[in-house]
Amino acid sequence: MKTILRVIGGAAVLGAAGLAAFVFVPVQRTAAVTDLPADWTAPEGAGEYVMYAGDCMACHTAEGGQPFAGGRAIHSPMGTIWSTNITPDPETGIGGYSLDEFRAAMIDGIRADRAHLYPAMPYENYRLMTEEDIRALYQYFMEDVQPVNNAVEATALSFPFNMRFGIRAWNWLALSHDAGPAVSGDTPEDRGAYLVDGAGHCAACHSPRTAFMSQDGITKADANYLTGGEVDGWHAPALRGPGSAPKVWAVEEMAAYLSTGRNAHSAANGEMGLVVRDSLQHLTDEDNLAIATYLRTMDGAPETASVAEAATTTETMLTEATDLDLGARLYLDNCSACHFVDGKGAAEIFPELANNSIVTAPQIGGLANVILHGAELPSTEHRPMKLKMQGYADRLSDEEVAALATFLRQAWGNDAPPVAAADIAPFRAQAAH
Amino acid sequence: MTDLPGFPSRRSFLKASAAGVAISGFALAATAQPAPPIQLDQYQPVYFSDVEWAFVLAATARLIPSDGEGPGAIEAAVPVFIDRELTGDFGTAVDWYMQGPHNAAADPLLGWQTPLTPAQIYREAIPVVNAWCEEVHGAIFADLAPDQQDAVLTAMQEGEVELAPEIRDFFKILLQNTKEGYFADPIYGGNAGMAAWAYIGFPGARAAYKEWVGRHNIAYPLGPVSISGDRA
Repeated sequence: MKTILRVIGGAAVLGAAGLAAFVFVPVQRTAAVTDLPADWTAPEGAGEYVMYAGDCMACHTAEGGQPFAGGRAIHSPMGTIWSTNITPDPETGIGGYSLDEFRAAMIDGIRADRAHLYPAMPYENYRLMTEEDIRALYQYFMEDVQPVNNAVEATALSFPFNMRFGIRAWNWLALSHDAGPAVSGDTPEDRGAYLVDGAGHCAACHSPRTAFMSQDGITKADANYLTGGEVDGWHAPALRGPGSAPKVWAVEEMAAYLSTGRNAHSAANGEMGLVVRDSLQHLTDEDNLAIATYLRTMDGAPETASVAEAATTTETMLTEATDLDLGARLYLDNCSACHFVDGKGAAEIFPELANNSIVTAPQIGGLANVILHGAELPSTEHRPMKLKMQGYADRLSDEEVAALATFLRQAWGNDAPPVAAADIAPFRAQAAH
Repeated sequence: MTDLPGFPSRRSFLKASAAGVAISGFALAATAQPAPPIQLDQYQPVYFSDVEWAFVLAATARLIPSDGEGPGAIEAAVPVFIDRELTGDFGTAVDWYMQGPHNAAADPLLGWQTPLTPAQIYREAIPVVNAWCEEVHGAIFADLAPDQQDAVLTAMQEGEVELAPEIRDFFKILLQNTKEGYFADPIYGGNAGMAAWAYIGFPGARAAYKEWVGRHNIAYPLGPVSISGDRA
């Protein structure tokens, strides 16, 4: 009996010590992957370019706020996370950060005070950046960004997510990969992979999440890498596999989509529209072509596009207009003036609806939002026109939107499950993106 | 007939309807539930008094009668359209030049010269016409037999009912407004159930007929659709 008590007591002490260590022993920062000379400086403009590639602006600038002064609400399943002030203001920003502290935030998710960042910060991906890019970015924020004194609202998630030390365990799963780029070499494919996996943090949306909400696929070596994810009820489409846009679109078409938000097939909506606006349009044509090349070739030979027979069947039905179900009739009444009976729309203006990832997505949020509330293309340097689609919330009931969505998901060779009116209702009250 | 001010020319109508299709999504109420069809006998006029309402019901019923091939003005709820129209921009002449000098008796070729708005013309002209009916036929317009009403309307059109220069265009306006109420989009209160469109085969605000440009001598199979998305 005494022995048992002793064992239990010992285990309790060990457990308490372990827990205390887990909570209180400072986490170690990962060292720089490359030893650069202390007096190394980034070429002119390099830091700003890395900022654009990493889309820091998107999260760290509030709507209508000062650049990088933080305060934007990031909605997560755990609650609202408020982005921080990353201007060099010493009091409310990162003005007091050393390079080592900055790097730790970027690649380990650790603040200067050694507390953990919430993984809304994509340090899982930024971990793959080169030391040169991290130093260039540090230099940019310290020297080129105007300090703004702006104390943002503190993130206050509910228990247990307010226990930041818990992220330590989460990081054991999420940060199992080494710091530094996973690719080497100067080929366009490698440059594309570097941008996609590192600064671009594409996997943050386009890879699924594990049961622990970490990214299920950080690099090409991971099975579920870029096989599609979900953001705010929108489906972030797969960027690999049969029928995925990079496999079907030409490299130049994908590059045009990235730099202008539109191409011969599609238009960037929702979150992707913001990514084009704030990040991708600022990349060089070479880099957008590199990304497109990498995505198209990463799993071997691309597909050749085939004209589905089903596309003709739908087109004929809409042209004859004699035997229409409700969804097809609604398409003619509301959509076909721009998207046409062949569902092809018009290049760079009206998106193609056949094989459109928003139309056929497993989550209905994107399609429901666009039908109900419309959409607007981002204005970019090459294509400044903010083309706008009107919303149909006032013209169509939930039943009608569901019938129309069901039609779209099964027209022109699309093959996605039908939609019920109850699936539409939650999106009616939601404002458009 | 010359265009009244505020009456769109064909060109401006085409332009306006193209713009209307483009903005229609923003102008409507924030619900997709179609408005229930207007019951004429339960409608509470916004502008007209009881006597005026009875006159407009009776007059439009003779201008587009119910016993023809298609729906009449009553079935199409034309009086509702006119009642609403007279409280709107047209009825109150809100964007016309209405300052003096006024010479109401001027040559009709000189256009709108009366100081009165269309709504005021209805208000002043209806009692005059009713008085004329009582004098000639022994009852106000609404209480006459249909053939008597037809005779009165014909007399008005021919200028045989004496009207002061300020209200001399009353019949012209009434006829024009009746046609508008018959053919306008149901969103404005008339053309109930798009019955007038269905009757003449107008397919409504679909704005997508690219496939049909070259398909001659094939009947277009679809019924009309309204600005608010209703189908008929």
